[in-house]
Amino acid sequence: MNIFGLLLLILLALMLCFAVAAVLMRNLVKAALCLAGSSACLAVILCFLVAPWAAIFELSVCSGLITVVTISAISLTTPYSKDEENELIKKRRARYVALPFILLIVGVVAGYALLNGQTGLMPTMSNASTFASFKEVLWQLRQVDILGQIIMLLAGVFAVVVLFKERDEA
Amino acid sequence: MPASLTFATAALIVLPLLAILILNIVNKQAGQKIALNVALVVTVIQMIAVLICGSLLVTGGKGSIDFSVFWDMNANLSASFFTVDFFSLVVLFSIGMVAFISAMVAKRGVNGKELNFTNLLMVILLGMNGIAMVGDFFSLYVFLEITGICSFVMIALYHSKEGLEGAFKYLLMSCVATAFLLISMAFLFMQVGSLRFTDLTIALSGWATGEGDLFVTIAFICFIAGIAIKTGLMPFHSWLPDAYQSAPAAVSVLLGGIVSKVCGVYIIIRVLSSFFENIPEVGIAVGLLAIISICFGAIAAAAQNDFKRILAYSSISQIGYIALGIAAGGPIGFIGAMLHFFNHATFKTTLFVDSAILEESVGSTDIEQMGGLEKQLPVANVTTILSLLSTSGIPPLAGFWSKALIIIAVWQAGFHFTAFLAILASVFTLVYFLRLQRKVFFGPAEEHLAEVKESRGTLAFSAIALSVVTIGVGVLFPLILRFLQAQGLL
Repeated sequence: MNIFGLLLLILLALMLCFAVAAVLMRNLVKAALCLAGSSACLAVILCFLVAPWAAIFELSVCSGLITVVTISAISLTTPYSKDEENELIKKRRARYVALPFILLIVGVVAGYALLNGQTGLMPTMSNASTFASFKEVLWQLRQVDILGQIIMLLAGVFAVVVLFKERDEA
Repeated sequence: MPASLTFATAALIVLPLLAILILNIVNKQAGQKIALNVALVVTVIQMIAVLICGSLLVTGGKGSIDFSVFWDMNANLSASFFTVDFFSLVVLFSIGMVAFISAMVAKRGVNGKELNFTNLLMVILLGMNGIAMVGDFFSLYVFLEITGICSFVMIALYHSKEGLEGAFKYLLMSCVATAFLLISMAFLFMQVGSLRFTDLTIALSGWATGEGDLFVTIAFICFIAGIAIKTGLMPFHSWLPDAYQSAPAAVSVLLGGIVSKVCGVYIIIRVLSSFFENIPEVGIAVGLLAIISICFGAIAAAAQNDFKRILAYSSISQIGYIALGIAAGGPIGFIGAMLHFFNHATFKTTLFVDSAILEESVGSTDIEQMGGLEKQLPVANVTTILSLLSTSGIPPLAGFWSKALIIIAVWQAGFHFTAFLAILASVFTLVYFLRLQRKVFFGPAEEHLAEVKESRGTLAFSAIALSVVTIGVGVLFPLILRFLQAQGLL
């Protein structure tokens, strides 16, 4: 397995960790951020798999837009009380108790497949050209989207200020 | 690119960002004090920048200008850049005008929240400017989401139960619309390999001549459904009246005056005229939704007792007229839709400003609690009459000309019964607005309203300024028509 294969495995594991954390996290905002982290890992994986367009759209939509929308939506809701929260955590733990084991099995099987030469799935392209392609898509072909993402982040920040901070101050 | 054009195009994107930066660098008290004035300056500069762009387009004899703001455009034709043409300039001017009025209304209505309101106003301005200028489907979606997020945060600005409920409804419907749009984009990208309007136009021209494709059909259906939700066309309108009613006055002005149009009907116009233009089924589908919206909006408005809800349902009806103009096709339909876009932004904003005057003076927008306010609120009375006459298409006001062009286009397209329904709905518009006028301003004065006085500040100024535009566009319309003919647009 080459260095990219190893990197891919690490990213896959990281993506799964973020995904599990998103499901189990008690704080909704942190859960949304974990989901964004999971999407960001997927975007990097897509980039390694020579799919820069898919990577850019994944990064834009899931890590950027969806996270802002989710956090803004959460900010419109009323948080649970401590007791309700504890009750919910108990239920959630019972419901998802098998999840880490399933993911562990999937991870072991996938890792085994990769380590045993199923490298047809792995990127074989020139690494330099992958990054050039990703760079070209990101900075030249989708430059308006980058501006859009910056503005989107501003919208998210102001949403949090208006809906979270002011409510806490009140 | 001439320096004036560089300044003008950059102003549309850079200036709001600069305003946000300045307002949030200075200390909070200073920021609160200057926020709305900064917003007024930015919106005025936007209107000037649009006029500069327009004059350069005319003198340069160009149909459109492509530009990039932050770094140079490269030679790759599939890159996403901004584009302005005559239609996007009309939209950008309308955005600047309504945002200016919203900031004026906010001077009376967002006590203590000037900074947050202005920050959101600048971001929503950027979002709408982006929608008006992008030439790429995905970038359009990004800016659409920016506008959507700002809209629902603004609706919930005061954390009132109604505001939060309205915002949540808007958010939910918006998410459904987003899902439809993403599916539409995914299928188009899968089939064409690009999301630039120009690439899609070339790729889909074959489809128009009969080389049909299931994925393009699904993409088209999802696109129409997504945009119909965003713009509040019937039967996807449920979020709109609640959102308008629960929002603060300055936000209602913005939402009712421009946001719902830019996020919905403008995109329909842009996309249909770019790459679904030659497909007759598209025109029929949009025309059907349009005429249902026109009739339903008019009937539902007549059954309401809240000023803002009447305006909300009236918006559904009037947006239907714009969609009908696009569906009719041809230059007359397109110009009619474009003009009705601007006219609706003007007279509907006036009516929302009048509702803000009523809210401030009477403390409510329930028309059943009002009556005989003609003498106490003279500015609101006169400007409401002018706006309702223009909305109903009474000559020589601006609304008459745009509606006339749309109905002529529909008639020429051979849909005589639809044209007849559109005229009938226009008469019905006059009926429900006269009911509103009679209940609020005419008749015997209500005792509990004896002390009501009209404020002479920014609200009255806004209503008067917009009414002048409504009259001016109406009276000078023959000149506008001549200009459009000279430019080869009609």
